[in-house]
Parts: sequence; structure tokens; C-alpha cells
Amino acid sequence: MFYSVLFPDSAAFSRQAQQENEPECFKDLNLGQVFEPIFKANKDFGLESLFYTPLQNTQVIAYRQDVMRELENDELRGMVAKFAKTVWSLGRRMDLTRKALASGRDGDNNYLAKGRMLDYAQRYCHAVSTLSGQLAGMTLRSEGLRGFSEYILSLCSSQRYKEFYSRVERLRGDFSAVEYCMLIKNGTIRVQKREGQPDLSEQIIKTFEKFRQGDVKDYRQNLPEESYAAHVEAAVLNMVAGLYRDTFADLNDFCKEYIRFDDETLFRFAREVQFYLSWLDYIRPLRAAGLPFQYPEISETPDDLYNREGFDIALAAFLLEKTVKNDFMLKKPEQIIVVTGPNQGGKTTFARAFGQTHYLASLGLCVPGREAKLYLFDHIFTHFSREEDISTLNGKLQDDLVRLRDLLSGASEKSIIIINEIFTSTTVNDAVTLGRYMMDALTALKAPAVIVTFLDEIANYGANTVSMMSMVEKDDLTQRTFKIVRKPPDGLAFAIYIAGKHGLTYELLSRRLKK
Amino acid sequence: MKVFLMFSDKNISAKGETYYAKDDLVADLELEPIISCMAQKDETIKTMCRAALFSPLKSADEIRYRQENLKDALQNPDAVRQLYDITVETEKKRKKAWLWLSSMYLSSTFSNAVDLVKLYTEMLRELRLVADRSLPGFRSDGFRRLLAMFQRELDDDYFQTVRSHLESLRDSKGMLISSKLGSHLQGVGYVLRRNDRKGFWTRWRFAPSYTIAPRDDAGATDLVRRCDRAINEATNALAQAAEHLEDFFAVLRGELAFYVGCLNLADQLRRLDMPVCMPELLPQSGSSRNWKELYDISLALTKNGKVVGNDLNTGDKRLYIITGANQGGKTTFLRSIGQAQLMAQCGMFVGAGSFAAPVRPLIFTHFKKEEDSAMKSGKLDEELLRMSRLADHLESGALMLFNESFAVTNEREGSEICRQITQALIENGVEVFSVTHLDVFAEAFLEDRRTQYLRAQRLENGERTFKIIPGEPLRTAYGEDLYRQIFATAK
Repeated sequence: MFYSVLFPDSAAFSRQAQQENEPECFKDLNLGQVFEPIFKANKDFGLESLFYTPLQNTQVIAYRQDVMRELENDELRGMVAKFAKTVWSLGRRMDLTRKALASGRDGDNNYLAKGRMLDYAQRYCHAVSTLSGQLAGMTLRSEGLRGFSEYILSLCSSQRYKEFYSRVERLRGDFSAVEYCMLIKNGTIRVQKREGQPDLSEQIIKTFEKFRQGDVKDYRQNLPEESYAAHVEAAVLNMVAGLYRDTFADLNDFCKEYIRFDDETLFRFAREVQFYLSWLDYIRPLRAAGLPFQYPEISETPDDLYNREGFDIALAAFLLEKTVKNDFMLKKPEQIIVVTGPNQGGKTTFARAFGQTHYLASLGLCVPGREAKLYLFDHIFTHFSREEDISTLNGKLQDDLVRLRDLLSGASEKSIIIINEIFTSTTVNDAVTLGRYMMDALTALKAPAVIVTFLDEIANYGANTVSMMSMVEKDDLTQRTFKIVRKPPDGLAFAIYIAGKHGLTYELLSRRLKK
Repeated sequence: MKVFLMFSDKNISAKGETYYAKDDLVADLELEPIISCMAQKDETIKTMCRAALFSPLKSADEIRYRQENLKDALQNPDAVRQLYDITVETEKKRKKAWLWLSSMYLSSTFSNAVDLVKLYTEMLRELRLVADRSLPGFRSDGFRRLLAMFQRELDDDYFQTVRSHLESLRDSKGMLISSKLGSHLQGVGYVLRRNDRKGFWTRWRFAPSYTIAPRDDAGATDLVRRCDRAINEATNALAQAAEHLEDFFAVLRGELAFYVGCLNLADQLRRLDMPVCMPELLPQSGSSRNWKELYDISLALTKNGKVVGNDLNTGDKRLYIITGANQGGKTTFLRSIGQAQLMAQCGMFVGAGSFAAPVRPLIFTHFKKEEDSAMKSGKLDEELLRMSRLADHLESGALMLFNESFAVTNEREGSEICRQITQALIENGVEVFSVTHLDVFAEAFLEDRRTQYLRAQRLENGERTFKIIPGEPLRTAYGEDLYRQIFATAK
């Protein structure tokens, strides 16, 4: 029996402890920045814990990858998204309405509350039957969606549901025929069925039409079509009920009979599927900008890890088609990538992308790149240089070392290590010595790592080290390409350019004017 | 109702001043005195004339449309000024009345809108009366269309209908509102209904009723809100009408302001006995320039007297290099070209006996800056940066006026920079006028048949005429002359 679209069965669902807090690596990897718009756009669903909880089970990851791959179908996704949003919000509102209808007070339990229940019931039926009808004609491949589809189809064909739906429709039809007039004068409202009086506003609009000059302010106040005092609206509705007796009696019966019409499993699905939908929504503009996403293979050993055309997904949100894509590869005995090269050349971005991609893959999401094999990690440890923290009173070097010690003592060979610009606050000789110690420790640890550094010596550490460099344009050394490629460090001196600084030589200006 | 005096199919926008490096253009061409003379201290005229000047027209048709309207305004100055005065008067009255449309209370928006609509309709009547009197004197499409529209749209019947609506909104029989049931049975789709049918009250007397209890404040407020919902549309219609009318008067004032500004300037130049003429604009691809007595209007206005003009008659040129003595009238000449081109582009007359030139929808100036001559290296950087920014906006068909640019480094280097830039510009369809002291640069184009050399005239006796005449650069500086002259008078 279908239980969850995030876990293969209810046992796996309950085994996985949900993390309520942001993992530590989020800040350095800019993942907080990536997920924040997702959380914001889906505030009602409370998706945070789903994105805070990396999985360590390849089966569950595969279950999710299958579901998400299937949801990439625009048609299917559209249907499911609409359904999920509707059902989730109806479920929450219906809880409130049930409370009101159980109350003995006129202020809560009146025709307005009953009207709300009718409204929710109608929207619920509409959402459920629509999706069920749509899914009936589709062949679904993923275990998760197939299970859900079977569930909703059997729900819809049940006798009870059918009766419920037709009852809702009949009531709605009766109410749409109700129309009345209020005459308001001196604190009294009189109510009658409507007669054929002409629309006064319309006549005024027509008279002044000719002066239309373009856009003007809309002076209509946004007056909610909700009454200010519910008791007055309820009183008016009571008078209307006197004009249309049978219809309102039917409504009373309906509310008694169907007070619990919503289904718990559908409700859970509505939230969980939002996990996939929100991610697909988030990456849509990136894909539109030509950036590749894929479902990576997840490996339990670190012997052969790679990604082709990966990128920093946080940066990509701003750069879109200008985003630079980079590859990485760690093939046994390679274990540590050391990135050197000019500043602002994309080194940190590269390191971040490495961590991000692993993290995203562990959630079962599709990740940046064309083809990848990624590590099933237990923890991502990051060490990014920080602004000096005055409160600790430690020097920066000392702080670096303390953090490195903590990192190494917490890490295992199942971890991923990312270290960005360490030992920058000491002499080069010192840094080289310390850097070598660090490399010794990482080698002993055996965990895959990315190190960003200005020290060429570290890049030449040993057979387990891959040297990569940020690149500049051949013709113009001031131009970074943000490409990071496998290449021995060359310590290239950097900074020549004067002529044409303003782009005003004959050639440069001609080119600019032609544009 | 559309004004359409500036364009045949749209209103001019006062906000659309996005002309790059506008401030440099104003300073370099000394446009302030011209704009002030047009404005005569009227801010609207000032704004609109600036807006027109800095929104150069690109098509000959647009320019012609405005030229025709301007000719008509020059023929009917009194009627144009009367129309303008009505718009000014309207604005004064509105300001005095303290009527605000934006209010938290729908009911006060409603009553203010009613009063404003009344005020504007009265002033519309004034406009129509002017139209009744003066239409026969106008010839141009723009003015004839506007005045005829006043007569057609604003007849007496119309004013009668408006009055009857405004009255029916003040009704004491109570407010009649129709409603349907919304998604959860709340009343929705309130519509204000006319309740002036016969036998109305008899039918309603015994209808079911609910009366708000004496202390039920929420209930009382509810009734007010209910009525608000019902008058929401009507209030909006009236307030928008008031705003449209305000806009209409503002647009009318703005567009008339341009013509009144032109009238003001024409009057002043006539007093100074300086000629003005409607320019003839050739297609953008053209490369001939032909004018007589082209003068610096700004100089005439500041001097408050007659000034020297220049004649030119060239064909198939794209670069004009102007050399010669200091204080020989070169900068003034450059200014007169810039002013005339800019004014011509917005449909104005120009300060010349006659003037024919290609359409140039973009005019940039690059004048040497007088200040901080001490920081020579920084200054070249500044000049290059300024040029580079202009280059970002330059396009084929633009007119570029250089005044002693890039003369801040040594002669040879400055010349080379200047030559490269100039060469790139003219090859890419930019027409260039360049006043220069860089001899190497000036002589670099001697072989180019599409370059016209001009020179500040100096008579045999060394006296300057302030005339610019065709002529290749002479290899003598006139600074010495000036020196001598100044020191001679000092004695």
C-alpha cells in the first residue's frame, strides 16, 4: 500500500530522522542561498527539513531519482503541482472549519462556516477527480508515482466518494441561482430577491470614457468581498435563507454527513511531492539558460568520482548563460584536487560546486553537470577562510589550525573535505610546511578532498594529488576565463596591460562602433 | 481626447529625458540662456523645451509635423497663448481647491472626485470657447485637429449629461445594492443600482430587515463598508475621470508650452534683429551642409545684441577640421552648429538665414574642460574615459563635436590618439566636427577628399573677423597675436 513519495515504504519513512537545522556546510557552500527562495516560495509546506536531511541509503536515493526523473515530464508535473497545492491548503483550512462547525456558538457555527465547508469540499473533489482522471490514462515508471496513482484511482472509484461529489455539485448549482438586493438606509438592511434595476456605475464610466489618457491610478480600494462584521453577513444570509428555504436545508444535512471528507495519504503526498516540484521549479531558469542537469550515479567507494560540465548552482542563479562549466575527475589513486591560479579566477566557485553537487545528489535531486559519479558521504566538512573573528581573540593562523584540527578529528574516509585558502596569514615558508602536514593528514584519512590554495608546492604533493588551475585568456592576461583545468601550477606572473585600456584604439573603437 | 501637438500619433513624455551626457551638451553648447529665454521663468515651458530638445526626432515626417504646427503658432500667437493660459489657470484653481483623490476614506475620494470633475468641466468649456473663436485662423493638422476635437466632444449636451450624473449620486432614498453568493455563500459582486423607479418604496417597506443594535459599532462599520463596496466602481470611475482630466490638462499645457517657448524665443530674437528660419532636413545618409548666417543664439541672447554668422556650402563630407587663431570664433562656430542641429531635430526654427543639413538624431560634444589643468595625466584619463562612455552610446548617423580634445598630452601622442578615434568614427558613419590645435592630427586628413578644412579668418593686418572660412591649417599659432593685442591694450 502506497505510503510516501519520498521513501519506498512506511518503515524507511520512519527510520530516517529529519534534520530541523541547516547543516554546517551550507554557509560555505552557499547552499542556504540556493534553498532560501525555495523555502520562501513554499512557506506553507514547511520543506526545510527535507532539504536539511541528506540520505545515506542508495536505494532511497534511487527511489527519489526515479520519481523526480518522471516529474520532469511537463504535463505530469503540471497536474501534480496543481493538485498538491490545492489539496495541501484545503486540508489546513478544513481543520479550522471543522472546529467552527463543532462549536455551539452562532458566531462560529453559521451558514458562512457551512458555506466554507461546501467550498472546500467542491475544490477538493475537483482536484482529486481531475488528477485521478489524468493519471488513469498514463503509464508511470517510477515506483513512487505508480503507487500513488493506484492509490488515488481506487479512492476515486469508491462509492462513498462518488456520492459525496455529486452531492457537492448539486448544492453548488442550487446556490448559483440565488440573487438578492439589499437596501441600506439608516442602520437597517432590507433584503429581497433581485429586480431589474440598471447599473449606475456603468453609466458613469461611459460618460467619462473619452478623457482616458493612458494609465492612471486605480482608485478602487481593495475591499475584500468579505463582510467587516461576520454577524451582519450571517444575518443577511439568514434573511436570504428565508427567501430560499429548501436549498439551505440541504446544506445543513450535507455538513453533518461529510464533516471528515479529506484523506490523510493524499494530504501527505501533497507536501512531499512539493520537494521535487520546488527543485524542478528552481532549476527551470538555469536549464533554460542551457545549463545541464543530470541524475548522478552514487558510488559507495571513492575510487572513481567525476562530473562533466558541473557548475556552482548558487552563482548560476545570477550568471545564467554566462555560467562557466568545469569538469573534475578523481581516479584511483587520485584523492585530492588542489586548485591554484590567479585570484578571482573561479577557484572557490569550483570547490563550492564540488561540495554542492555531492550534497544535492545525496538528497536524491538532479544535479549540475552532464554525467557524474558521486560519493555517498556521511558528512561534508568545509574550511573556508573567515573574516577574523575578534571575539575568539585567536590569531587567524591559530584559528585556521584549530578549525583544521576539529575538521580532521570529525572526518572519516566516508567524508568529503573542502578547504579554501588556508594559512594565508603566515609566511610562505610556514604555509608550505603546514600545508604539507595537512596533506599528510588528508592522505591518511583517504577521504576525497578539494583544496584551494596559492601554494604551488601543495599542488605537487604526490600521486594522490591532482593539480588544477584557473585560467586566463591567452591574448589578454587581464581576462579570466573561469575555467579550471587539469594542469601543473605555473606561477604565471600576471598584470600587464595599458594600451587600449579605454578601448579607444582604432581597432578597438571600430569594433565597438560596429557592435 | 488626445492632444497630439508634438507628434501626430502620441503625446510627448516629459520624463523621457534619457539623452546620454546631456549635461555636457547643455554646458558645451551653452543651451541654458536659450532655454531660459524660451521659458521666461515658467517651469513647465522649461521642462517641456528641454524634453523636446533632448528627444531628437529621427524621421523627417515627425520633424515636418512639428515644423508645420510651429509655423501655425507663429501665425496665431494670441490664440496659442490663450489656450496655454487656460491650462495654467486650471492648475492654479486645482491647487487652491485642496482636493485630494488619494484618501483612506472612499467617501472623501468620492466627494473630492465629484468636485474636481466639476472644476475641470468648467475649464473644458473655456477651451471650447477659444476653439469656437480661433479655429478658422489655423492651417496646421495638429492645431486644427485639436480645436475641432474640443468643439465635437465638448458640446453643451455633454455638459448636461455630466451634471445629471453628478446629481443622481447624491440620493437620500438609501443605497440599493445587488449581490450574488460567493464561493462560501458570502455576498459578492455588489453592484450599485439606480433606485429611481416608480413604486420603489412601496415594494420594499415590508421586506425582511435587520437593524444594527445601538451599540454595535462593528455592525455600523459593516454597513459603511458595504456601501463602500457598492460605490467603489463609481468612485473609481469619477476619480479616474478626474485624473485623466488632470493629465489631459497637463499634457495640453506641456505640449502648448513648447510652442509658447518657441514664441518667446522668436520674439526675443526678432527684437535683436537676428534672423530665424525653418531648417530643411535632408536624409540621414546625406552628407552636404548648406547654410547662411548661422550664428550662436546663446551668444546673441547673452550679448543682447547682434552677432556674427557664418556661411557654409559643402557636399559629400564627413569630417570637418577647424583650425586657426584662438578667440577667432571657432568654439562659437561649433556651438552654432550644435544648437542649430539640436533645435532642428526637435522641429524648431534655427538661428540662421537659411539652414540645410542631414538628420542627426544623436549629437555629442567632447569639449576640453578648463578646470584642473595641473593634473595633466589625470586629465587625459578623464578625456579618454569621457570619450569611451560616449562611444558606448554612439551610433551611425550621429554628429560628434570635438573642441580641442586630447590636447593634454604631448602634441604627437595627442594627435595619434585623436587621429585613431576620428578615423574610427568617420568610418563608422559618425559625422565629426573637430576644432583642434593638434597640427599633426589636423594635417593627417589632407589627402582625404571627404574632409572639409575650415579656418578662423584673420585679415592681413592680423585682425580677427570671427568668421570661419574654408581653408587648410596654417602653421603659425595666433597666440602671439593675442598676446600682443592684450598687452597693447593694457598699455
